[in-house]
Amino acid sequence: MNLTLRVWRQKNAHARGRFVTYEARNVSPDMSFLEMLDVVNEELIGREQEPIAFEHDCREGICGACGFMINGIAHGPKRGTTVCQLHLRTFRDGDHLTLEPWRAKAFPVIKDLVVDRGAFDRIIQAGGFISAPAGAAPDANAILVPKEDVELAFDAAACIGCGACVAACPNASAMLFTAAKVSHLGLLPQGQPERNDRVRNMVAAMDREMFGGCTNMGECQAVCPKEITIAFIARLNHDLLAASFKGRKPPRTAASP
Amino acid sequence: MDLSACDVLVVGGGGAGLRAAIAVAETHPNLRVAVISKVYPMRSHTVSAEGGAAAVIKPGDSLEEHAYDTISGGDWLCDQDAVEAFVREAPAEMLRLEHWGCPWNREPDGSIAVRPFGGMKAQRTWFAADKTGFHMLHTLFQTTLKYDVIQRYDEFFVTKLLVDEGRCQGVVAIELGTGKIHAITAKAVILCTGGCGKVFPFTTNANIKNGDGMALAYRAGAPLKDMEFVQYHPTGLPFTGILITEAARSEGGWLLNKDGYRYLQDYDLGKPEPRPVLRSMELGPRDRLSQAFVKEQEKGRTLEGPYGHYVHLDLRHLGEKLIDKKLPFVRELCLKYVGIDPVKEMIPVRPVVHYMMGGVSTDIDGATPLPGLYAAGEVACVSINGANRLGSNSLPECLVFGARAGKVAAAFAAELKAPSPSVLTQAHDEERRLEEKFRRGRGAKERIATLRAEMHETMEESAGIYRNGPALQKAADKLRSLQERFRHLTLDDHSYTFNTEQTAALELSYMLDVAETIVQSALQRTESRGSHQRTDYPERDDKNFLGHALAYRAEDGPPRIEWVPVTITRWPPGQRVYGR
Repeated sequence: MNLTLRVWRQKNAHARGRFVTYEARNVSPDMSFLEMLDVVNEELIGREQEPIAFEHDCREGICGACGFMINGIAHGPKRGTTVCQLHLRTFRDGDHLTLEPWRAKAFPVIKDLVVDRGAFDRIIQAGGFISAPAGAAPDANAILVPKEDVELAFDAAACIGCGACVAACPNASAMLFTAAKVSHLGLLPQGQPERNDRVRNMVAAMDREMFGGCTNMGECQAVCPKEITIAFIARLNHDLLAASFKGRKPPRTAASP
Repeated sequence: MDLSACDVLVVGGGGAGLRAAIAVAETHPNLRVAVISKVYPMRSHTVSAEGGAAAVIKPGDSLEEHAYDTISGGDWLCDQDAVEAFVREAPAEMLRLEHWGCPWNREPDGSIAVRPFGGMKAQRTWFAADKTGFHMLHTLFQTTLKYDVIQRYDEFFVTKLLVDEGRCQGVVAIELGTGKIHAITAKAVILCTGGCGKVFPFTTNANIKNGDGMALAYRAGAPLKDMEFVQYHPTGLPFTGILITEAARSEGGWLLNKDGYRYLQDYDLGKPEPRPVLRSMELGPRDRLSQAFVKEQEKGRTLEGPYGHYVHLDLRHLGEKLIDKKLPFVRELCLKYVGIDPVKEMIPVRPVVHYMMGGVSTDIDGATPLPGLYAAGEVACVSINGANRLGSNSLPECLVFGARAGKVAAAFAAELKAPSPSVLTQAHDEERRLEEKFRRGRGAKERIATLRAEMHETMEESAGIYRNGPALQKAADKLRSLQERFRHLTLDDHSYTFNTEQTAALELSYMLDVAETIVQSALQRTESRGSHQRTDYPERDDKNFLGHALAYRAEDGPPRIEWVPVTITRWPPGQRVYGR
């Protein structure tokens, strides 16, 4: 099959970007989207042109490296997939596709389809860990954890940090990401001692990074490759509200809604 | 060139690397730690580990049994003192991860859940569904973020270890985003770069697994140990090589040939039972299962598709509910990559290169023979995996030996003064080499893709599941000529921002070095043991080969092999018995 690609090319963070059109000829419907880009890049290299930069690593949908917009949809038209899991059989022969990097103030473009997602690290750094001393604890089985709590924590912890939620959100909010991180630890017993500080600090970090506020659009859950739901955002808001009554000052700006 | 300095430098941000960094920060909070990784740490290949991590936790299990399973699984090539330390420290490491927030699966009563795994006599594999590596890596990553002393160099590609005055004192690396060359000096360096599956054409490994750390150590003069032992995982998807976790078999999946027959019963692996039986049939060790596949293929009892021969992995009798709860990722992979639903259809599978038992030779604390250089995880060979690793031992290995290497490297670094300024001369030489060879090289004729394809073909033909002397000798010669041709490589991309062609060229040079050590060690081990099967020497030979092969780099010519004996403590060599 043949595809026409309109790809965002940007030399570096400071350069102006523009769309360039490429043809992907004679590609197999069994190829993944990234394999198709490999073929396009091989051709570009053959013609002594710079290949299209895109992030990728495991190519089995678990590492969180890949991701860009295809015709305005984060990770492309199929639900619950990353671009490496998206196959060309999803498209029709002759389709025109526009590829763009994630667009958000907090994710500056580094080159072509590659953006800097360091802001996510700084949100985790604000509290997404457990620092209660754990050295001489006797046994994991000394504290029994209800199976359903673990499973819910597990669903939240499935976040791969790809950034699609931010890219899909009209406000470029990082609420789904932050909610997943807060909920994962907040649901487990070992996450309880720092629960209030964690939610306050992580939401404050999110605001500092210039992510937008959440207005319950739900676009994030529609594109999340791990199908994390906005129920976790409700959980975050609940925790944030509860934390704001407990002692310390509330964060600089409140998360909405 | 950009200069910076730290006390302990960890190369690699996967399970072993992050665990090592935390160990340094915990034991010596005044030391500066740097983690340098060619990918953002959460993209490290630990993320793909599926099935689980073994550590004794349940009543009725014992450290002795875990040690025995590991040693017999490794066909008695494991160093038994290392195995004893490993099984002893694994449970505590797993608990630490629990305390750091790792969502381990639980039994209905709330206690830690474990599942059976291949070659293990008791249920001791902890898991987080079939995304165990993912959750372990995220937990470790989040934990490193709480230490201010850990500085990260993400997307930096190490090209050389700096060795001066007989010890390792830092690295030279390219910052991939800008092309800038950095010299980072350190008092101790810990290699945690993982394996080298990409030396082979068909592998479960990600594109980043090019044996970087192995080649770096080898070039710095440290030996690579047991490189002939390459693990084929019996159940990969044809074409993509994506792994279908062993957990699929431990939950009760069956391997069937084209007649729908559970063929493993013909290979001394026990009798077929409807429910999984430990150390039997589908729960046999990976080397034996992969060898059985080749024999089935020779008998003409496998199926053939567009991407070669395969057999079936049947999960249908497990039911949708169990598959969704315990094996959700298996279902997701099958649906998305093959377009089949394992609830209703059988999964096509074939053996695929998965893991390197060998690696940089280290002692029980992760120290290599080169002072100041340490290694942990798949890049290292301690050795606890011997001639065949048991599934679910590698994740705890990253934790136990990552922590050990971190502690010992920190103690070593704490005693030392800053590295000598003379190492910078070396760094400048390396900068010149990179500039000349990889930024201006023009006019020559060899292409990366051609050399890589020829290397792949050579390795698949000579160093696969079954090997023989003449094929290995031919491969050794071929690899020599590829090394020579690599000097005439031509590169077209001269850009500085994410120059992937330059990275690919450097990775190819690493893989050629590693491939030579695999082939040369395999050539010289004239016996069959574990994953190393020689059709011309089909028996195990304890009299001559109960030892590790150490491959040293030779100035010009193939690697030089030396032998050291295996450490035996409590388990004298015996017969490997499964299913009986």
